[in-house]
Order: sequence, then C-alpha cells, then structure tokens
Amino acid sequence: MSVTEYDVIIIGAGVAGLTAGAFLAGRGFKVALVTSGEPTACLSTGCIDVCSRDHNPLLGIKELPPAHPFHLVPEQTIRESLNNFQAAMMDMGIPYAGALTENRFVLSALGTFKTSCLVPSTMKAAPQDTKDSIHIISFRGLKDFYPSYIISRRKNTKFSVYDAGVSSTMGIASHFEEKEFLESFIVWLKGQNIDEDKIAFPAVLGLESAAEIVKTIATRVGKPVFEIPTIPPSMPGRRLFNALKDYFRKKGGTIYWAWPVVGIEKAGRLIEAVVTQSEGRPNSLNARAFILATGSFVGGGLVAGRETITENIFNLPVHVPGPRETWFDNDYFSFNHGIGKAGIMVDSSLRPAGTPWENIFVCGGILADTEILKNGCGHGLAMATAHVAAKSCMEYIR
Amino acid sequence: MNFEHCIRCTICVENCPVLRVNPDFPGPKQAGPDAQRFRSDREKAEDKWVLLCSQCKRCEMACPCGVEPAQIILRAQQRYGLEHPLSPAHLLFANNYYLSTLGSLTAPLANRIAATKVGKKIFSAMGIATYIPFPKFRFRTLRQEKKTRSRRSRKVAFFYGCFINFYRPDIGRKIIQLLKSFKVDVVLPPQWCCGLPALGNGNLALARSFALKNTASLSNYIDAGYDILYSCTSCGLCLLHDYQGILEIPQAKKITENTYDLHEYILRLVDDNYIKPQFQEVPRKLAYHIPCHLRALGIGYPAAKLMSLIPGLTCEILDDTCCGLSGSYGFKKSNESTAIQIGNRAVAVIKKTGAGAIVADCGSCRMQLGGLSGLATLDPAEVISEALGITLEKKRKS
Ligand SMILES: Cc1cc2nc3c(=O)[nH]c(=O)nc-3n(C[C@H](O)[C@H](O)[C@H](O)COP(=O)(O)OP(=O)(O)OC[C@H]3O[C@@H](n4cnc5c(N)ncnc54)[C@H](O)[C@@H]3O)c2cc1C
Ligand code: SF4
Ligand code: SF4
Repeated sequence: MSVTEYDVIIIGAGVAGLTAGAFLAGRGFKVALVTSGEPTACLSTGCIDVCSRDHNPLLGIKELPPAHPFHLVPEQTIRESLNNFQAAMMDMGIPYAGALTENRFVLSALGTFKTSCLVPSTMKAAPQDTKDSIHIISFRGLKDFYPSYIISRRKNTKFSVYDAGVSSTMGIASHFEEKEFLESFIVWLKGQNIDEDKIAFPAVLGLESAAEIVKTIATRVGKPVFEIPTIPPSMPGRRLFNALKDYFRKKGGTIYWAWPVVGIEKAGRLIEAVVTQSEGRPNSLNARAFILATGSFVGGGLVAGRETITENIFNLPVHVPGPRETWFDNDYFSFNHGIGKAGIMVDSSLRPAGTPWENIFVCGGILADTEILKNGCGHGLAMATAHVAAKSCMEYIR
Repeated sequence: MNFEHCIRCTICVENCPVLRVNPDFPGPKQAGPDAQRFRSDREKAEDKWVLLCSQCKRCEMACPCGVEPAQIILRAQQRYGLEHPLSPAHLLFANNYYLSTLGSLTAPLANRIAATKVGKKIFSAMGIATYIPFPKFRFRTLRQEKKTRSRRSRKVAFFYGCFINFYRPDIGRKIIQLLKSFKVDVVLPPQWCCGLPALGNGNLALARSFALKNTASLSNYIDAGYDILYSCTSCGLCLLHDYQGILEIPQAKKITENTYDLHEYILRLVDDNYIKPQFQEVPRKLAYHIPCHLRALGIGYPAAKLMSLIPGLTCEILDDTCCGLSGSYGFKKSNESTAIQIGNRAVAVIKKTGAGAIVADCGSCRMQLGGLSGLATLDPAEVISEALGITLEKKRKS
C-alpha cells in the first residue's frame, strides 16, 4: 500500500479547488490539494457573487451568453453548491446571509453599492437603499478608507474616528480579537451617543471571530452594525479562505503548500502524476484523477505572452478571444476587456475539450467565456463548477 | 527572488505573524519588495527594522507570485549586520554552537547559572529574554555517541543538529533506534551547527564557515552511498535552501539532492515496501503544531501522514500559527513581547483543540509552546517510537 497515493489531486487552493476538495473528501475519497500560493479569494470582498445581471441570480444566469460555463451546471447543482457552502460556513463559525433567488447590496468604500448574492453575516445589516442614516467609524491612520467618499454620495451620513493605537488593517483586526480592547472600544462607542440608524465600519472587526464581534457590538450599542469591505488586505476575504481551508481539512483533505506544479507524468490517455517543485528534487504525487483549479491570470492558471495565452501544467489548449488588439478595452475600468473570455473550453463533464485526457476535470476561474467581471459571477461560479467537476470525478473513479 | 514580480496584493502581509503584533515592523511587502527598490550599495543600510523579521517564511509560502519577501529581508539583515555593530545577544546567538559546546562541557554549572536570578540579570543585560526557561544543557551530547552500524542495505548519515545534540540527546538516540528497527544503518557524521542561528543574527561569514565544514563532511558520506537525514526542520531548511541560496556553497546542490526529512524518508521506505510498520494503538489526542520551517521545506507534512497510520491517535494539524520564538529570535529582549504575543495566539489555537499534548518537529517551537501553555510537548519521532514500542535501551556500551 502506498501512503502517498491519492484518489484525487486538486491543483489550486482557491474557492474552486477547496470546494471540490471538501466535496470529495467528505464522501470518503483520499484527496490532496497542491497549491503554489494563496488564492484570489484573499483579495476579494468575501461576498459570493453568483450572477449580477439580474436581481434574481438564477434568471441572470439564464440570460448569459450560450458559451458561458454556468450553462453546464444544472440548476439543482447550483442550489446544492450554495446550500453546501452556507452549511459549511455556519459550521466554521462564519455564517453567510442571502438566498440564491435574490441579490443583495453591499455598501462599498466608495459609497456605491456592490451587488452580490451571499454576504458574510458581518455585512448583512448594510442598507439596501438610500434611506437609512449611517454613522461610519474609521480608525486613525488607516490607509485607503476614506469616509468622505461615502458621505459625498449619501445624505444622512456622519463619521467619527477611533484611535486603535495601530493603523494597519491586520493590526486593528488583531486588536479586536482581544477582549480588553473590544471592551474599551465599546465603552468609547457608547460615549459617542450616535443618533444615526446604523453604524458602519471598515472590515477590520477581527479575524477569526468577526461574526461574534459584530454581534457583540450591535447588541451593546443597540443598533445594527455592518462592515464595509476594503481593498486588500481584505479581512472578509481572508476569513473566507481560512474557513474553506479549515473545512476541507476537517473533511479529511490534505494540503501541500508552496508546491507549484511544474510537470506531469502521463500514460496513454491518462495523467498518472503531477510533478511539483520542491527543494532539491522534484516530488511527484500519484492519483487516479485530477482537478485543475488554478484560476485565471491573477491566480496563475493562465499565463499571457505577447501574442499567446498558455496553460502551463497540462498544456491544455486555451481559448483566446482574438488577436491582442481585442484583449483590452480602451477604458481601463471597463468590464468589457476581451481577455475576460480567455480560458479552457470544456465538455459537459468539465473535461478539457479537444484533448485526449480522460482523468482531468477543470473548474473555477480558469474556464473559458466566464467574463467574471462583466457578469459578476466570481466565487459562485467557482463553487458551482467545482461541484460538477467533483461529481464527474466521482463517476469516473467508480 | 524577484522583487519586480510583486503585484502588491498584500497576501504576504496577511500572513506575517510579526506584523500582526508589532506595529514597528512594516511587514513583508514593505520591508521586502517595496524597500528593495530603494536599497543601494552606495548607501549605508538604515533599515534597522529588518531585524524585526523572524524569518518564519510564512510570507513566502503565501505569495502567489513567487516573490520570496523573506529572502529579500534576510539579505537586508545580513547587510545591516555587516555595517552596524550588533548587540551582544546577536553575537552570542550567532555563536550558539560554540556557546552550547561550552555549556555542555560544563553542564551542571551552566544550567545552574542560567536558572539563578543573577544569571537571568546577566542574560537580561545582554539583551536576552528569560520568559521561558533557557534550555538545559546535557552532559553527554549525541556527538559522543558511538557510531551505530549494522550490515544492512539502506545507509543514512544523521544530521541531528544542535538542539538534539546539546539539549535532547535522548530524542536523537530514539531516532537512531527507530531507524535501526527499520533495518537502516545509521552513522553520525562529523557535523557543526547548520549555520541558521548565525544567519538569523546577521553573521553571514560565520554561517558560511559552518556550512562549508558541514558540506565537506556530508559530501563524503553521500559519495559513500549514504542518504543524509535531518529531524530538525530548521536545520533541514538551512541545508536544503540556504546552502544553495544565500550562502552560495559550491557543493550545495549535492547536499540538497541527497538530504531527507526523517519522516519523509520513513514514508519512502513504506512506499518502497522496504518496511511494513505495525503500529500499536496510541489512544491520545494531540495537537500537531506545524513548524513554519517545515511548511517552508515544501515536502508536505510527512510526520502527520505517518501518525495518521497509528490507530487510536487523533492528531489535529495546526499550520496557521507561528510559535513566535523562531530559534533565537524570541530570546532577544527586543523581541520578547512580540514573541510572547505570537506564541500566546498559537497556544490559544492549541487549547481550543482540547488536545492533551503538543507535537512539533522543531525543538524551539516545543520549548516556546510548552513554556507558554504548560502542556507536554513531543517530537513526532517520539510518538512514532511509542506506537512501535521502541524505548531506549537501558544498557548502552559507551
Ligand atoms: C482582486 C479580485 C477581487 C475579487 N473579488 C471577488 C468578490 O468580491 N466576490 C466574488 O464572488 N468574486 C471575486 N473575485 C473573483 C473570484 O475570486 C474568482 O473568480 C474565484 O474565486 C475563482 O477562484 P479559483 O479557485 O478558480 O482560482 P483562484 O482564486 O485564482 O486560485 C488559484 C489557485 O491556484 C494556485 N495555482 C496557480 N498555478 C498553480 C500551479 N502551477 N501549481 C499549483 N498551484 C497553482 C494559486 O496559487 C491559487 O491558490 C475577485 C477576483 C479578484 C482577482
Ligand atoms: S504576496 Fe507576493 S505579490 Fe503579494 S504583495 Fe506580497 S510579495 Fe507582493
Ligand atoms: S519571514 Fe515571517 S516575520 Fe519575516 S516578513 Fe515574512 S512573514 Fe513576516
């Protein structure tokens, strides 16, 4: 018996990889996950975007262009994936609010609304319209969070500043985990005699226990309290990543950190092992099936050259939207960059199209035609396709 | 190491245990790739804060772009050490090996001094923290042990490292017995401190001289068909990573290619069907604190894999926390408060598991966590020996 052989190896520790991993490990498969670094979930707001094209994400999905990979996921599986996610996060102590049939709004640091489907409980009380009056608490020296942006866009909004003794996002969040700090903060907050309906904070209210901390503050001051997502370092993103990772481990999965996959071993139509770079000698890990969840460009799954886009582990054919001129829109902030369509084309079982491989399944941001930015379908699509990939994997192994 | 690959995602920042508790440290992104832009060979180094980095390498493990902030900082630390007179504590800990040799030759006396008030005052005046007891020197070091050979096919040369040698030779003896029980020949090659303490205290020249001596010695054994084993994960990281990297040792590649973690090696023996260990039941619940440097080695967690084969044993893997001591880092007065705060966080996570004892591969992690938590600590080799019914032979011919 080999102790280093697995049923399934997943490449990439993003929302897609960790979701597929927990699904399979929870059903008794021996699963290992290898990753070169931490995923884009850490940079995200922690909110689960499913599809922002319609107020009802399910209807929005129906409107997506025919090539969109969401069409490969049965509606039943989309529901199942979000339900599993909500149950898992409840279990890990970071409950998520929301339902698949209705998008919600999250107040952004610019004072605009971000549309998302499931939101961390710490953002549940965010206003859904412009009526509520809001009092923002900021922290002395905290960079990249300016209440005046929000005030310039919203009436009935005021702010105060608290001196936490430190000014970095991590430092403040860390302090909130200490009982004494939280206590003296609450005493200060009560002393502010806030009149507004709701109290808002940049998302620095703790790391592991944010849900509890928000609840405590709300109860003690007797007003709804919510977090406003910040740019990275993003605490809600980190909480999401930590919870997914711990959940995967709890289900029995193994993680190999800092193992960039650099090659493969193959035989006929099968991949037998992935080779990873570690100090001194390459390590190879065997498995019966593989799930590729290395994300798009930021995650590292796709690499753009001058004229070509490649996937460097299995060398899968990459769908390139057109010549380089079409990759980028002139407006930097546009949602319409052509390169958003680049990725791996797959068949209905999420095997890479046009390749001989029988035991590779692809999911998450690396898929072609997602246009994640334009369609507002980041983590939600990753979870849904991860479920399809995991199920195909199970079917194949059986 | 390439600071220009940094995309400023701040994922490293979120992973830095020092930044979390010490606002004076700007964190891996700023101290690493950001500051690197402004470092010039023509100006004296003024970035004293680089010394606040404990070299846990967690930033490197997390970076999705392969930037290696810890490497950049390590080089800045060496440069700072070269250009500025360092504190007595830095000098002392760089020379820890010589200090320890002296300590073990005069063990009873040295231990008594270290335990007295006067001794503690002297330590404190030199900038050495005394919040956890200084490790006790042992009279009979492992070095004085006779070579143990049996005529079998697998041969290993054991790099036991300073901690086992000077403080816990009994663990070293257990490891030797464990390997003998697996029909592996063990020799103890001539060896010196791996060099990591010297490197961590800004003394590149001393680190290099240790490394050269070790490389010459180990290289002879490799030529004679031995594999090199280490059990201290920090020694391992230094041998495999720093000899090739910052220390630029000519034969380092050979060392790297032939050196294995003890448990990694045992797993290979299992996989090769060379051994079939019959583990007895160990009905215990343990918390496995993964040393940062085991993570950084990029070999997965081989001891966890082995321990998972032991019936009755539950072993919870905890790899999100650093113990805070980082070798000699926390023993410096200037880092005391940082080390305690980081350590207490790790202890809180351990206590949450309800485990009866802590396992960790690294002696200094065990010292710190045992000291702060009051829980018993074990080397994984001790747990595996227990499961195989291996105890130290009482009568040893010396
Ligand atoms: C800045 C930013 C903000 C975002 N905000 C949101 C948001 O608020 N809400 C939302 O729903 N979506 C958001 N998204 C989109 C969302 O993060 C992704 O679409 C989704 O999570 C896809 O995840 P993934 O698992 O497919 O890949 P990724 O998250 O990209 O993860 C890829 C993983 O693969 C690993 N990897 C890559 N190459 C290799 C290799 N060779 N070997 C081993 N491992 C490798 C990486 O280290 C990483 O761990 C955001 C994206 C970005 C970039
Ligand atoms: S994690 Fe890497 S890329 Fe991101 S900021 Fe740190 S060094 Fe730069
Ligand atoms: S090595 Fe550790 S202490 Fe140093 S910057 Fe990186 S994460 Fe922080």
